[in-house]
Amino acid sequence: MSYHFPTQLYPKKPFVYFVVIFFFLLTLSACEQRPQVYQQQILALGTLVDISIYGVDEAKAAKAVTAISTKMETIHHDWHAWQPSRLTQINAQLATGTQVSLDQAQQALIEKGITLARQSHDLFNPAIGKLIALWGFHSDERPDAKPPSETDIAELLATTPRMSELVLEDGLLSSANSAVMIDVGGYAKGYAVDQAIAELRHLGITNAIVNAGGDLRAIGSKGGQPWRIGIRHPRQPGVIASLETQGDESVFTSGDYERYFDYQGQRFHHIIDPRSGRPAQGVSSVTVIHSDATTADAAATALFIAGPKKWREIASAMGIEKALLIDTAGTVHMTNAMQQRIHFEIESPRIVIQP
Amino acid sequence: MTRADKVVIALALLLLPFLYIEFWGNGSRGEVVQIRSANSKDISLPLEQNRQLEVEGALGTSIIEIKNRQVRFIDSPCRGKQCVLTGWLDKDGQLAACLPNGVTVQIIGRDRRFDAVNF
Repeated sequence: MSYHFPTQLYPKKPFVYFVVIFFFLLTLSACEQRPQVYQQQILALGTLVDISIYGVDEAKAAKAVTAISTKMETIHHDWHAWQPSRLTQINAQLATGTQVSLDQAQQALIEKGITLARQSHDLFNPAIGKLIALWGFHSDERPDAKPPSETDIAELLATTPRMSELVLEDGLLSSANSAVMIDVGGYAKGYAVDQAIAELRHLGITNAIVNAGGDLRAIGSKGGQPWRIGIRHPRQPGVIASLETQGDESVFTSGDYERYFDYQGQRFHHIIDPRSGRPAQGVSSVTVIHSDATTADAAATALFIAGPKKWREIASAMGIEKALLIDTAGTVHMTNAMQQRIHFEIESPRIVIQP
Repeated sequence: MTRADKVVIALALLLLPFLYIEFWGNGSRGEVVQIRSANSKDISLPLEQNRQLEVEGALGTSIIEIKNRQVRFIDSPCRGKQCVLTGWLDKDGQLAACLPNGVTVQIIGRDRRFDAVNF
């Protein structure tokens, strides 16, 4: 088929027009703005916090990063488990059976811990600070030394520290059990990320990611394009799956590779099962998607401890719909809702769906 | 086939390599090493130029080496030497950090597949 340009309208050499239009098109594509994301890393919470902000000018974004940095520093110092902090003061007072007066922010965090522990059937148990310390995880770098003895573990387990033994009334906290030692390590990162997002919103920023050492909450999008998140493989370099966030979501993972020590060829990781008093068995990692980061953080820990048999039940009890568990054999267990949200980046892993 | 048809086909073919580079071209060309320190300005260096440099941090001097499109910590004034143990980085987004000294090294490519990585 051929087409003849009407000679009265166009010059004799129409290809000149094509060439001109072609180069105009090229320049157009150069004009197309790639989304401008302001990205800044800060050292906070004893880790690297990566903040991505879209849609505001650089000065405003930089100001927001400073605000987050200050906020996280405060949380880190207030709630540090072993360096002298507000938390170590609280624990010292609880151990002597005295009442502790808490400010509103402190009350909110403790209250949240009590609720999350109850919802998780005490698998998420921030009251076992003594057990965590016994395992040597209350230090910056645990030496590859002996794990604690069975007798020491059994002795601590017999004292049954539970969050439900804390009483918080009119800003006064007390414990019915002097063995309770609060360790907010299982949800403080989530709490800090939630506080950072609140800070951003307060400053009028509605498109951002706060990624605290691999655990993150993302709000908004980058100019209508969703934020793309990769979930790292627990056993290999690279990403196992990816997802696009919708509106306001937190993605938290608990893994046995995060903190651990080796002793005589055996690896002992930091997620202590409050039932056995030892590192939880059978799971490599658990990833949870949930609206608020505090709940996502606690749930990832709770489901990790619950293990391949019980995780689904605990997820329901905690109101978690999107969860993924990778067991030590590499099998991926996940909920229907999670399957609909993620895309695997590796060749056909073994998958078990638990609706 | 008229002359105009030929021109259209020729231009479409000409456009192909351009589109390919624009949309599928890998980001390897623009890769940079970004070095951040609590005590000095951020440094961005091309991954392609071999060199060794000293970065001042909170505790002292970290030594970083870029060689054969890879980067690593050679030494840092920390106790655990996690940064040195991390070894060579060669992929987009990979990161090594000496937290005690406040120095981080990251490879940043032109097109990053993800906005954030969860682990």
